[in-house]
Amino acid sequence: MIRFEVTFGVRPSHFHDAWLEHIQHVNTQAYTATPKNVCSTTCFRSASRHFLSTRPASYMPTMESAEEESLHDQSSEEEASELSDGELQEAFSKGLLKPGMNVLAEKNKTFVNNVVGLKQCLADFRKDLPWVERLDMTNLPAEGVLSKPEEKVPAGINRELDADDDFQREMFFYRQGQATVLEALPLLKVHNIATKRPDDYFAEMAKSDQQMQKIRQKLITKQMILERSEKAKKLREQRKFGKKVQIDVIQKRQKEKKAMMSAVKKYQKGMTDKLDFLEGDQKAAKNSSDALKKAVTKKGPNAKRKYKDQKFGFGGKKSGKKWNTKESFNDVSSFRAKMAHDKGARRGKGGKKNKRPGKSVRRKMKGRS
Amino acid sequence: MAASKRKRGGEGPADKKGKKGKFVVNKGEAQVETEQASRNEVLVPAPVSMGKWTNKERVLIFSSRGINFRTRHLMQDLRTMMPHSKADTKMDRKDKLFVVNEVCEIKNCNKCLFFEAKKKQDLYMWISSCPHGPSAKFLVQNIHTLAELKMTGNCLKGSRPLLSFDPKFDKEPQYALLKELFTQTFSTPRYHPKSQPFVDHVYTFSIADNRIWFRNYQIIEEDASLVEIGPRFVLNLIKIFQGSFGGPTLYENPNFRSPNLHRRELRLAAAAKVREKQMVKELQKIKRKEAKEDVDEDVTADVFVTPNEEKPVHIQTEPPAPKVVKKNKHKAFKRQRMQRGRR
Repeated sequence: MIRFEVTFGVRPSHFHDAWLEHIQHVNTQAYTATPKNVCSTTCFRSASRHFLSTRPASYMPTMESAEEESLHDQSSEEEASELSDGELQEAFSKGLLKPGMNVLAEKNKTFVNNVVGLKQCLADFRKDLPWVERLDMTNLPAEGVLSKPEEKVPAGINRELDADDDFQREMFFYRQGQATVLEALPLLKVHNIATKRPDDYFAEMAKSDQQMQKIRQKLITKQMILERSEKAKKLREQRKFGKKVQIDVIQKRQKEKKAMMSAVKKYQKGMTDKLDFLEGDQKAAKNSSDALKKAVTKKGPNAKRKYKDQKFGFGGKKSGKKWNTKESFNDVSSFRAKMAHDKGARRGKGGKKNKRPGKSVRRKMKGRS
Repeated sequence: MAASKRKRGGEGPADKKGKKGKFVVNKGEAQVETEQASRNEVLVPAPVSMGKWTNKERVLIFSSRGINFRTRHLMQDLRTMMPHSKADTKMDRKDKLFVVNEVCEIKNCNKCLFFEAKKKQDLYMWISSCPHGPSAKFLVQNIHTLAELKMTGNCLKGSRPLLSFDPKFDKEPQYALLKELFTQTFSTPRYHPKSQPFVDHVYTFSIADNRIWFRNYQIIEEDASLVEIGPRFVLNLIKIFQGSFGGPTLYENPNFRSPNLHRRELRLAAAAKVREKQMVKELQKIKRKEAKEDVDEDVTADVFVTPNEEKPVHIQTEPPAPKVVKKNKHKAFKRQRMQRGRR
């Protein structure tokens, strides 16, 4: 019983005729079929025409399973249900098809390599010119003067140059060119061929001056961008550092102020009668009014500031007048302890003339008078 | 503004009086080789005047129709680099390839570089020795032209190049033949009238990954520091023929994969992936729709059954203590917030 088994979705349409010639019979014992692909009865796999001209050996249909590939490197299995039963029966009767697994084995695609022909051709074609005419050299890449560790020099013949490693590859080509130049220069000197062009020799160059200008501009802009980014990075670092320092200083000052205030309060309350807290300062303040120093910078306003005040008066930025400065903030001379603790006599609002009595009182007074 | 072309074989411009050194009034045939040695010489004689041009190599560089800008620029660059080249109009694709031989004959060229573009994507290059000689077909990839800004070198137009070959070219016969072909094609003949007498650039041909890599470097210093000029390309050998643009095949590259096939493979691979995914999805659907068995008894139900211990029955006689309700102080705020939000 002949059964078809379709394994692929790809149905090449040109497998119709002339398949009879290219069927190979494979011994069932030799071909160990995988359970997936073999049915219990002899399964006939249709053969297809060899298409040698279009398919190189290396091309395998991607639908093949890995197991099949491993079994037959060169064979491919195609299914075409277009082949009718009748045709297959015919072939079977003719004796072209034998029972067992019939597998299409692709003919090995041989690539022409006519070594003799090549050598012959070369011998005919070669022109024996003196070296001066040809200026060709064959050499391995030169070793760098400072052989950098990044350049993994492929040991010439032994290791294959990796075409994907861009840097290594380009360095290889560069070194090859260098080796050629190093070898060729003395030879050129011998033949009196110059390599250095005199400074006043103006001639047409392969690239126009305009092009060279463009290239130069590009290099310059690249350089500038690099420099700018470097500068910006440095500045950022500096600012971060500067900010840290500023914060530290402010915190220290706040701590000091707090300590001073608490020490002063303690003294006021009479808890300590020592004026140790003023050790750091020069003034010895007893009263609360004179308790704290008024920070006076000896320099006073800046010379520049003085000049500007002189020139422009005290105009200019007025908006800053209502802000605290270092001095005004540290100035606690207007601190009245009694007021702060609600003990001083209220003079402010009640200080003016006696309060006007209320309406009812006034009416009564009016009534009385 | 291009540099003004220096008159060769004649007197230099008048403002050169400042340079010291003797003025050579006429084409110094006698002082041929010593001219270049003295840098202060004003005059550099023409190449042909120094010697006879015997090595008559002429290369015809042209293309078929349907090339793109990069190929066109590459051709122009090659023509710039090789003073012994000639240009021709584009060939119609209808004509067969052996017509190229006739074109070469008409132009009196004995080598040919023919660029063929297929599908506006793939570029093939034929290099051949025109009357009877061998020819080779390559697939050209990775083209970078002279005009790229990353190639910072420059050289004299028409100066003679040094050719540098990888030792791998001597190992195998096909590469040896190619080496000879390249040498004869790319090297500028000595004393060619359009050539410049200085040697200031070097072509390198190297073999990597079964391909031939071409680079062009400018020689800056005597200590062999090089800068790339361009152009650069990669040649993938397809076939070598015994005749020019035809004839029996001498060599076929087994590692060559046609770009069409390559693209087809990629497409098939993608298609196969998609189909696989679809199949998997379908299978999942089928599985889901399958009649599922209803299991009445769970066999494993008793595995974790552990009877809990007996607790004494507790009857509540008193009402439970009231729970302390924390006053939500923020409710007003929340309401205000919401009102504000609504507004």
